[in-house]
Amino acid sequence: MPSLSTRHKIELIAVGVIALFFIVIFPLLNAHGMVSNFTINLWGKYLCYALLAISVDLLWGYTGLLSLGQALFFSLGGYMMGMYLMRMIGELGQYKKPIPDFLVFLGWTDLPKFWVPFSSFPFAAAMILLLPGLLALVFGFLAFRSRVKGVYFSILTQALTYGASLMFFRNDMLMGGNNGFTDFKFILGYDLRDAVTQRGLFIATAVVLLIVYVGLRVLSYTKFGLVQKAIRDGENRVLFSGYATAHFKLFIFLIAALIASIGGALYVPQVGIINPSEMTPDKSLEAVVWCAVGGRATLIGPIIGAIGVNSLKSWASRAAPDYWLVILGGMFVIVVLLLPGGIVSIPARLKALWQRFNKKPAEPEPPKPAAPPQEPNVTPASTPSL
Amino acid sequence: MRTYIRLIFTTLTLWLAASSSLSAAEPRATLVEAMLADNDARKIELITSLAGEVDESIKPLLIAWREDGLYLYEPSGATPVPVQLTGEKDADDARAAVRVDTGAPLVDAEGKPVHLVAGDLNAVEHTSMLRRAMKGVLDLIDIGSPDAKKRLQAIQTIGFAQETDKIPAFQKRLAIEENSKVRRALREAIAVTQLKDPSDAVKLAAVKELKELHSLSSYDLIRTAMREADAAKSTELATEAKAALVAIDNHKSNINFFGTLFRGLSLGSILLIVAIGLAITFGLMGVINMAHGEMIAIGAYTTYLVENIFGAGITIPFFGFSLAIPGMNTTGAFYQTYFLFALPLSFLTAAVVGIGLERSIIRFLYRRPLESLLATWGVSLLLQQGLKLMFGSNNVQVSSPSYLSGNWTVNDIIFGWNRVFVIGFAGLIVFGVWLILTKTPLGLLIRSVMQNRGMASCMGVRTERVNMLTFGLGSGLAGLAGAFISQIGNVGPSLGQNYIVDCFMTVVVGGVGNLAGTIYSALGIGLVDQSLQQILLNPVLGKILVLVAIILFLQWRPSGLFVTRSRNLDD
Repeated sequence: MPSLSTRHKIELIAVGVIALFFIVIFPLLNAHGMVSNFTINLWGKYLCYALLAISVDLLWGYTGLLSLGQALFFSLGGYMMGMYLMRMIGELGQYKKPIPDFLVFLGWTDLPKFWVPFSSFPFAAAMILLLPGLLALVFGFLAFRSRVKGVYFSILTQALTYGASLMFFRNDMLMGGNNGFTDFKFILGYDLRDAVTQRGLFIATAVVLLIVYVGLRVLSYTKFGLVQKAIRDGENRVLFSGYATAHFKLFIFLIAALIASIGGALYVPQVGIINPSEMTPDKSLEAVVWCAVGGRATLIGPIIGAIGVNSLKSWASRAAPDYWLVILGGMFVIVVLLLPGGIVSIPARLKALWQRFNKKPAEPEPPKPAAPPQEPNVTPASTPSL
Repeated sequence: MRTYIRLIFTTLTLWLAASSSLSAAEPRATLVEAMLADNDARKIELITSLAGEVDESIKPLLIAWREDGLYLYEPSGATPVPVQLTGEKDADDARAAVRVDTGAPLVDAEGKPVHLVAGDLNAVEHTSMLRRAMKGVLDLIDIGSPDAKKRLQAIQTIGFAQETDKIPAFQKRLAIEENSKVRRALREAIAVTQLKDPSDAVKLAAVKELKELHSLSSYDLIRTAMREADAAKSTELATEAKAALVAIDNHKSNINFFGTLFRGLSLGSILLIVAIGLAITFGLMGVINMAHGEMIAIGAYTTYLVENIFGAGITIPFFGFSLAIPGMNTTGAFYQTYFLFALPLSFLTAAVVGIGLERSIIRFLYRRPLESLLATWGVSLLLQQGLKLMFGSNNVQVSSPSYLSGNWTVNDIIFGWNRVFVIGFAGLIVFGVWLILTKTPLGLLIRSVMQNRGMASCMGVRTERVNMLTFGLGSGLAGLAGAFISQIGNVGPSLGQNYIVDCFMTVVVGGVGNLAGTIYSALGIGLVDQSLQQILLNPVLGKILVLVAIILFLQWRPSGLFVTRSRNLDD
């Protein structure tokens, strides 16, 4: 690992402080009643979304692959966790039957075969990694082998999500259909409605996010990380230098899918519901918005974006429910057109503006909003601000 | 029952023989004669002779008779006159009387209308046998209805009741019937009824007739006949029935095949109409317009507005204000021409919105396709919410003009007019786009700019303007698609979302930058989708399989069906 520059040292310290705050101080404050259970639950949700946003960023910001299917992996993880949680309800459901309510409603008396092993947490945890991982491998293999890239990759992943959501909307999938899973009671023997359990889940999410952050940060310093960025900036040159870019991309696609899936698995017990509307293409696009707003091709950007946009959403859906989509859409247009680097790039822009202002005080020219013309084969427009 | 049938049978035969003389008589007079006749046999004969009469007034009279609604007015000494009491009861409980024989009000010697009290009169009598005869006549009366649709329905209903006594009436009608559909129904009805005939020879002929007619609806009846024949060891009949079943099955699969083909073609045409705009903006310009779906919705809402303006007008809650648009209150044929006005207007509205979008956002993103995808998705959210605020989040209803509803049945295959129209319209649009792109100066400019922007610019082409117009054309075509979709489905703010994935798939499969590819892929996807639905009997699964098939197809041809050859590695 190369020696760290001052900037990276600052980032490292900042991340350490923030992580300490989220993992230790925030839960402590909650335990002493200074932070409400609602708040900690809400922030738990934001951190799960941050995991999803990071997975989008790993693909889009670092590798140049805009996947519109990350919500699919997120909700697949959620569904796997949801199946375990459904089994843990036991006979406490509405129908007081040993099988989940929606199956009783569909006229089942026995558990379908594929549901049986989900009573075991280790199995469910393994499936959270295996199923989305397998799907990512198969789809990634097909897509990268035939060199689907750029916009076509986005459209294909969108179609994949669309197809999956159609499938999960059906009742005969035996995955809860339209309503999905809800009414969870216990996780690993702990009551989910208990504040302590929710606090534990929050800490777990924060720890996972920290691990993912550090892991990806380390990865970005390695040769692998360099190749990854080289693929983004000029795939053909990397290919002709002798790297099997398809393998790199497949591996990154797999990691991103796993991160999203874990995020989804942590999301479901904290939110208490998972249904197919979570895996529609719209949700994937929303995750892309978080990433873009926060600042893509940085690791902190997606986290800031996910928390910021979702806080805004929580506020707007109460204050102006009719205009939330307008805000989201407008924000997206503005970020893409005027602030391609996202929130993270604002300090650098201000600095540049300040310098220009000091150099030529005679004509203080505002910064040109549109991005400068790029070489056509460079997919992401903004240069990474690392 | 037997005797009764035989009686009816003989009377019918008699009546057929004497039909010339009897049918010449006034139906009302015949009815009165029946009421006054002294024996039941004669009464039945007279009543039965009314079967298939065209006179519409007979039906209510017969019903009234059956329900004790007809009375005998017996002024002392004179012959009794059957009357019907109509109108409101007056102070003495009396009502106006109408003569059954003429339908005119009953008048006394001085010519004043007579009012009678029901309780003072004797109702015209009827026995159970008479009631049955009346029912038979009532059943058959619609067969002679001047309305062909009514005739057809009556014949089918009666035919499938399989009452052998109805055969002569059918045969009589068949001899004079001119409408080919009704003739076919009559033959079918006769044959179906003959399946109940005790004689094997008649049954055999009936089965042969049904086989020839490929009568779908008699399938179960033939199967029953086959089982009976098997049980009765009449081999010839059983074999013939089996052959008839096979023939009908073949016919059925033919219908399914052509039906699927037709539905696939029309679905493909819908895909083509919605995707052709995208083929221009995405395929030719390379702009990923995620708001393409909203352009479709704008077209559909324009149609909705035009329809309302032709009708009673509409009030739009315009972002807090209320915008009342007065209507023209047109009706009938003129109202239905609204669609012809809506078509160009949808094109224009969507084109104007598209040009606005191009000027304000897309022109900054030509070299950044992924970012154009994201920005236009933001625009799509804005437009969706805008439509929601203007028209409400519920679906609105757009009524189809009469020339688009209804259908056309050929050989049991149903061709809905709107689907036929969609196919024709898709053809017209493709032809129009081809004309614009290849035969107009604008098309020449569009092609030159798309092929080599820098060179075109050097030659003095105003590429900015060409971009704007091309994008306007693509958006306008989406608006046209919306006008069409308003005729076949719901119109709601999220209308476009249902089509956007399909649109992109169609263009990608066809090969970007190639209009012909879009046509082939749209029709291909439509046909595959409908065939899969036919096989799987499950629309959603079919759709998912189509998506999977598309992903696999792209393994084989990563750049779609038709590739624009290029030496550029990044193309």
